Amino acid sequence: MLTYIIRRLLLLIPTLLGITLLVFLVMAMAPGGIGGPMLDELGGQLQTAQMQRVRAYYEQRYGLDKPALVQYARWINQISPVGFEVMPDGSLGEWGFKRPDLGMSLTRHRPVIDLIAEALPITLLLNLISVPIVYSVGILSGMLAARYRGQWFDVSSGVAFLALWSVPTIWAGVMLIGLLANKQYIQLFPTAGLHSMLADSMPFLPRWTESGFEPGWLLDALWHLVLPVTCLSYAGFAFLSKLTRSSILENLSADYVRTARAKGVGERDVLLRHVFRNSLLALITVAAGILPSLLAGSVIVETIFSIPGMGRLGVQAVQYRDRELVLAVTLIAGFIGLVSELLRDVCYAIADPRVSYE
Amino acid sequence: MDNRFGFKDLVFTLLLAVFIISVWLAMKQMDRHGDVLRSIDQKLTDQTRDLARLRRLLDQGSLALSPGHGSNPGSATQGSGDQGESPAQADPFARIRAVQQNPDYALGDFYVDVFAVVPDRLTPLVSSDVYASTVQGYVLESLAQRDPETLEWQPLIASDWTIEDNTDAWRAYMQRQEAEGAATAPAADAADDPERPIPLAITFRLRPGVVFSDGEPLTADDVVFTFDWIMNPEVEAPRERAYYEKILRVEKVDELAVRFVFKEPYYQAFELAAVMPILPEHFYSRWTPQEFNQSTGLLMGSGPYRLEDPEGWRPEPGKNIELVRNERYWGEPPAFDRLVWRIIENDAARLTTFRNGDIDEFPAQPEQYQMLLKDPDVQSRTQHFEFQSPTAGYLYIGWNQLRSGKPTIFADRRVRQALTMLIDRQRIVDEVMLGYAQVVSGPFNPLSPQSDPSVEPWPYDPTRAAALLKEVGFEDRNRDGVLELPDGRPLRFELNYPAGSEVFERIVLFIKDTLARGGVVMDPKPLEWSVLLQRVKDDRNYDAVSLGWSGTIESDPYQIFHSSQIPAPGDNSTSYANPQLDALIEQARMTVNEEERMPLWHQVHRILHEDQPYTFLFTRKTLVFFDGRIKNIQRTRLGLNPLQEWYVPQEQRKWSR
Repeated sequence: MLTYIIRRLLLLIPTLLGITLLVFLVMAMAPGGIGGPMLDELGGQLQTAQMQRVRAYYEQRYGLDKPALVQYARWINQISPVGFEVMPDGSLGEWGFKRPDLGMSLTRHRPVIDLIAEALPITLLLNLISVPIVYSVGILSGMLAARYRGQWFDVSSGVAFLALWSVPTIWAGVMLIGLLANKQYIQLFPTAGLHSMLADSMPFLPRWTESGFEPGWLLDALWHLVLPVTCLSYAGFAFLSKLTRSSILENLSADYVRTARAKGVGERDVLLRHVFRNSLLALITVAAGILPSLLAGSVIVETIFSIPGMGRLGVQAVQYRDRELVLAVTLIAGFIGLVSELLRDVCYAIADPRVSYE
Repeated sequence: MDNRFGFKDLVFTLLLAVFIISVWLAMKQMDRHGDVLRSIDQKLTDQTRDLARLRRLLDQGSLALSPGHGSNPGSATQGSGDQGESPAQADPFARIRAVQQNPDYALGDFYVDVFAVVPDRLTPLVSSDVYASTVQGYVLESLAQRDPETLEWQPLIASDWTIEDNTDAWRAYMQRQEAEGAATAPAADAADDPERPIPLAITFRLRPGVVFSDGEPLTADDVVFTFDWIMNPEVEAPRERAYYEKILRVEKVDELAVRFVFKEPYYQAFELAAVMPILPEHFYSRWTPQEFNQSTGLLMGSGPYRLEDPEGWRPEPGKNIELVRNERYWGEPPAFDRLVWRIIENDAARLTTFRNGDIDEFPAQPEQYQMLLKDPDVQSRTQHFEFQSPTAGYLYIGWNQLRSGKPTIFADRRVRQALTMLIDRQRIVDEVMLGYAQVVSGPFNPLSPQSDPSVEPWPYDPTRAAALLKEVGFEDRNRDGVLELPDGRPLRFELNYPAGSEVFERIVLFIKDTLARGGVVMDPKPLEWSVLLQRVKDDRNYDAVSLGWSGTIESDPYQIFHSSQIPAPGDNSTSYANPQLDALIEQARMTVNEEERMPLWHQVHRILHEDQPYTFLFTRKTLVFFDGRIKNIQRTRLGLNPLQEWYVPQEQRKWSR
C-alpha cells in the first residue's frame, strides 16, 4: 500500500507539469497573448511613444518579451524548490536549493500567494458550510427514499430535488435578492457583503438590551451567509440523493440482505450496518470531487453576492491572461484534484476489503 | 465489532468539533479587541504629539493662525507673466463656509457609496484602478484645483503662483541650434547647454499652515520629494513617469515655494504641476521603493479624509472601505464623519440595495432611470440629477482609410460625410439612449471651451448623402437597392464593435437599418475586446469600427488625429492625415496662453467636422440618484459640487458609531 501511494505521489509531478504546460500554451496562443489585455489597457490618455515606453517597462519587468517556452521554463524554475536563484534584475544566479515562489501577478502587481490568501478563506468558509448541508440532506433523503421506495416521500423528494436542480443559480441568486432582501417584498436578508456597516462596533454574541435584540457580530456574519449558502447548496441535493437511493436499492435486493433478514436482524440494522456500508463505494467516488470544489469556488455565487473568492480570482486571471495567477490557480487546482483521486483510491481499499493495490 | 464507530465516538467527535470552533471564535474575538486597542493607542499617540507641538508653539509664542479658519492669506504677491496670476479670490473654502451658514447644517453621518470590486491597493502611484483613485482623491491634495463653477484654476495648497513663459526666447534658441547643428556635426545634446533658456517655469508659493493628517506641516520639500519619487525608476509607476516627463525638475526655492521647470512649452504644463498629489516625505521616505511597490495601503496626505490606519490597509473580501474625517484638516472640515464604500458587484443587487435605502448614490442606466422615476417610493425618498458632464467621453465610428497599404472607399472625404448624413444620430439618442445623450460634432466635449459652439453636427439628410455618393460614383445600377461603383462593387462594409455590450449591439443594429435605407450594406461583426484591439490598433485590418473615447475638460487630439500616430500601434488607427490639421495641433500644444490656444482648438474642431475621419455619435448624460437626506447637492459646470459641501441635517442622521 505504502509503495503504491509513493508511486502515485511521484507520478503527480509529470502530470502537473503536463497540465500547466497545456494551460500555458493555450493562454500563449490566445489572441493578445500572455498579459495582452493588461498591456492593451495601458493606453489611456498617453501618446503612442509614451505608451510604448510603459509597455516596454512592463514587458521587461515581467519577462513578457521572452519567447513563450522560455517564460514557461522560468516559471517552472521559480516554483521548484531546486533550481537557479533569480536575481532582482531577472538574471539567473546559482543552482541549488531555494525558496519556491508563485511569483507576482502581472495585472495586479501583487504576490500571487497574497491574492490566493485573500480569496481562499471566503471560498473555504462558504463550502465548509454548504458541503455538509448538501451531503447530509442528500444522503439522508436518499436512504429514506430507498427505504420507502415508491411511497410519497420517495416521489415528492425526487420531484422537489429535480426541480431545484433545474433552476439556474444565476437566476435563483438574483431572485433571492429581489424577493428576500428587498424592501418592496420581504427584507429578511442583506443584499451583499459579509458584514453589516457597523459590524466593527458590535458585541460579539447576540444579547438582549433595553432597546431590544442585538444580533452581535457572529450572528450578523452568519446572517450574511444564508443566501449565498442557499445558492451554493440547493442544486446539489438531487444528484446525491438519487445516487444514494439507487445504490442502496441495488444492495437491498442482494443475497446477503435476504440472509440478514432471514436470520432475524432488525430492519434498521440491515439498512445502517449492512446496506449503507456496502453502498459507500459509489458515494466515495463522488466525494472525491468535494476537495477540488472546496477550493474552486463558484464565480456566479461570488459575483451575485459580492464576495470575491477563488472562483472570481480564477476567471479574472484567465480574462487578463495573467500568466502567474493562471498557472498558480491551475497548479493548486490540479494538485488538489490529483490528491483527492489518490485519497479516493485509498478509501476504496479501506471501505472494501476486496480492493487491494499490492 | 470493537473498532466500530459507535454513538459514543460520534458524541465525542462532535464535542471536539464544537470545542475547536469555540476556540477559533474566541481567537477571532480577541483579534477584534486587538484592532480596537490598536486604534485607541494610535489616537493617544497622535494626541500626545499634537499637545507637544502646541506646547512648543506656545513656548515660542507664535501660534500661527490656520489659514482655513483665519483671514485669507493668499493674494499676496502677484507676478507678471501671460496668465500667471492666480485668481483674486484665493479662498478655496468660500463655498463650504457659505453652506455652513444654513440653519440645518450639521456635521455627522456617513456617506455610503458602492464599488464594484475591492481595489487591489490604495497606495498612490502604484495603484491602477479608478476605485483607488477615487479614495485617494479624498486623502491627497494637489497645489491647485479647478473651480467647479468657472472651471478656472483656484489655489489649494498653493496660495498663488507665477508663470514664466519664455517660449519665444526658447524657440529662437532652438532655431539657432538647429541652424548651427546643420553646420556642425550631429547636434550635441542641447539639454546640458547652460545658455539654453528655460522655456517655461511655474513657481508656486505654498500656503503656510497646511498640515498632513498626522500633524506634520507640508513644505516645499514634500513637493520636491513627490516629483523625485515619481521619477525614481525603481518605483513601479511608469504611467505617471510618462505623464510627468515634460517636467525637467522641481526645485525648492525656500521653505514655502517650489519651482517647476519644464523641458519645452506645453499647453497642459500648468495642469500637470497643479494636479500632482503631494505626498508627505516624512511618511513615504520610510519605505524603500521595493517595499512601496509591494505595499497595499500606504496612503497619507493633507486632504479632508484619512485612512484610519495609513499604513496597514489590506484588501479584504466582503469588507467595506472606510475613510474617516481628518480632524486635523487645515481647511474647513467636511460634514460627513466617514466615507464608506460597500462592495457590490451585481447590478441587480446594487439596485435593490439602493431601493432599500442602504446606499446613498446610484448611477443609473437610461432604462433604470426611467423605471426608478416612476416608482413613488423612490421618488419620495431620493433626489435625482440628470446632466451633461464636461468630462464625459463620446462614441464614434472610425472609417479605416488605409487597409494593407491600399486606400479604401473611406479615403474619400465625401463618402465619410455621406455615411454620417445617412446615420440618424438624433434617433439613436432618442430611442436607444432614451434621450439621455447629446449628438456631438467633434471630439471635444460640447461643454469644454475647446469646442467651437458654431459647429453644428451634420444633419440626417439621405438626399444630400445620395447626391454626394453619386458624385463619387456610387449609384444603384442594377436596381437591387444597393449602391454600386461603375465596376459593380457594392457599397458594403463590415463594422466591428466590442462584443458583450448591449448598448453597442443596439446602436450598431440601428445603424445597419438606417444605412440600408440609403442603399449601403453594413455587416455588424462583434469581436472580443483583445481581438478587436489587435485588429484595429496593430493590424489595421478592418473596414470600420465603433468604439468610445473617454474625455477630459481639455483633451489632446494629437494622440488620435495627428498623422504621426498612424504607424501601429498609434491611436490614429483610421490612418487619417491632414497636414493643415497636424500643424494646427502642434501649434496649439505649444501655446501656453489659453486665450491664444482656444481659437486654435476651434479651428481643429472645424477641420475635423469637415473631414469626418470619424462619424461622431454622441456623448452620454450622467444620470444619478442620491438619498434624500443629503442636502446641498448642486449642479455645477463641472458636474456636481464636491462632496465636501454636502451635509445631513441633525434630525435625519442615519449612521453614527
